[in-house]
Amino acid sequence: MQFLIILTISLTGERLFAYNHFMVNIANNKKIQVRVKLISDFYRKSGRMPSFSEIGQLFRLKSKNSVFKIVNKLEKTGLLKRDHKGRLIPLSMKQHTKVLGTIEAGFPSPAEEELIDTISLDDLLIQNKDATFLLKVTGDSLKDAGILPGDMVIVDKSLNPVNGDIVIAQVDGEWTMKIFKKRGNSIILMPANPKYKPIQPKNELKVAGVVASVIRKYK
Amino acid sequence: MSYQPPLTIDQWPRAIMHVDADAFFTSCEQAIHPELKGKPVIAGKERGIVAAASYEAKKRGIERGMRLFEVKKLCPDAILLPSDYETYSLFSVRMFDIMRRFSPQVEEYSIDEAFIDITGMRRYFHSSYGEIAGRIQKTIEKELDITVSVGVSLSKVLSKIASKHRKPNGLIIIAGREIHTYLSELPVEKVWGIGANTSAFLKKFGIYTALEYARKDEGFIKRYLSKPYLEIWHELNGRSVYPVITEPKDDYKSISKTKTFTPPSSDEGFIFAQLSKNLENACIKARRYNLCANKVIIFLRTQEYKDTGIEIRLNRPTAYPLELFDLLRDGFKKVYNSRALYRATGIVLSGLKLDNNIQYSLFDDTVKIVKMNRIYSVIDELSDRFGKHTIHHASSLPVKIQAQHEGERGDTPYRKNSLFKGENKRQRIHMPVLNIKV
Repeated sequence: MQFLIILTISLTGERLFAYNHFMVNIANNKKIQVRVKLISDFYRKSGRMPSFSEIGQLFRLKSKNSVFKIVNKLEKTGLLKRDHKGRLIPLSMKQHTKVLGTIEAGFPSPAEEELIDTISLDDLLIQNKDATFLLKVTGDSLKDAGILPGDMVIVDKSLNPVNGDIVIAQVDGEWTMKIFKKRGNSIILMPANPKYKPIQPKNELKVAGVVASVIRKYK
Repeated sequence: MSYQPPLTIDQWPRAIMHVDADAFFTSCEQAIHPELKGKPVIAGKERGIVAAASYEAKKRGIERGMRLFEVKKLCPDAILLPSDYETYSLFSVRMFDIMRRFSPQVEEYSIDEAFIDITGMRRYFHSSYGEIAGRIQKTIEKELDITVSVGVSLSKVLSKIASKHRKPNGLIIIAGREIHTYLSELPVEKVWGIGANTSAFLKKFGIYTALEYARKDEGFIKRYLSKPYLEIWHELNGRSVYPVITEPKDDYKSISKTKTFTPPSSDEGFIFAQLSKNLENACIKARRYNLCANKVIIFLRTQEYKDTGIEIRLNRPTAYPLELFDLLRDGFKKVYNSRALYRATGIVLSGLKLDNNIQYSLFDDTVKIVKMNRIYSVIDELSDRFGKHTIHHASSLPVKIQAQHEGERGDTPYRKNSLFKGENKRQRIHMPVLNIKV
């Protein structure tokens, strides 16, 4: 739904209201989303709005009356309007690239410039793609650090641990996830749950990776 | 004594590196299940044979292709795992990505092997070719937790000899002036591209080692052998002729689809259904690359690993199973023996042509062909959206009579059974999962 986000920038104040109102509707209605996408795809490809019979084909509807009803609905949401002959005029139908190109002359849209410096969630959470692994948390030893059983942690193997990092490590043959603390020359692995005791490696400590982020999906 | 040209080259006209992962499938398993490190691990449980064995298992005498009951006798404490191709593929892609950080010229030779052209990279990295190779090797080990064997030399054939020289985790550099020392100990049949028949032929001329082959004069090679062997001869002499090909493979000479099922079966309906599914799969792949086949080869493999097959020639290339089912059934009847127990079926499509220049004959029903084209493009679209075989032919239905593999439930890879919220059987996050209890 990328094109919807961009609309906020190109819409005037009063349309913005319509848009917000519409957003509530559209967000809850998958079917409408799909249909709007179909029409806007058509618009992008052919450079004009579809006729009623073409909409019928797009939506796989035989009856023009059903098309008429849908168009009425879309008209109310401010996505399109009809001219005096009943043909469709796009208002907010345009997609991403189109919107940027049809801004009134003389005023370049800020959108294009602004969007250059955005990153995806993937880029935010993953620094080195080739060295990143997922892990499902089973224990609660980092409960107070906000890592709970069932959480998904993103582990980066390319990082070297520094003081305060959460690490996945093998201590004397046992695997654990703890906070990496340096005290002088020795290393201590700290839990974040009073039920557990800090671990001081006796013989061997092998750090398998550093936790870069934690993901908890609720829905 | 005849004159022996010295095999010494002082410079590096080309620097080719060969990377070969050590026991790749099982190394991946040990990387995501670190508790399995140092233990004999075997992948291929779902097929009933060893698909890959860790070095610990190889030391106990386990080889690829061995059946699992033999494994249990040899090494009762072996850990058998179902193959997890999704994870192996993810590791493979990452391994190639890491190599591309060092040089853009990477040839993905197979899932666990690659050639890298690092010619001219010395100045950029301020280090020798050997040091660059060492850094690639170490980065792969640190980031993926698997080891690879690396060879660097003047040509592809030589670099492959180098990487094989010391496995696992080896790093061998064959510089121009050392070529002869490596070739003198190497039997000629161990050279990439020289098979059993050629080496037997060469022995008639007293050529036993790679060095003896490399030292023959060009006239001899040209007179008795064909062009590929001349190329190998150049490569062994340190003159690179095989380029490092960076484009992914997109043209196929043939497409084959084989499927093994355990336990073996003699049920006619079931075996034909397997074959029918093979055909559907092969055609899906052909259509993905816009290809049509001229020839269809059917084969059935018995429990004793004997293959019987038949080749069907078509009067017009096609990639639509519907047009092929009648022929498939006829061919199947010819090769099927009701007393045999079969363990695998397979289909090979060959004589592949691009589907945009097919000559129809006067008697072809073009209306029907156009219809078929429409049906299959819808089927392919549905498969894209909802998963392979969302719509399939009824003749493939009987594959469900028996699970593909006995005890199938326990034999699916761990990754497919432990899903995160939001993942499903078909789509999972594009990232390997560490199986560590923390």
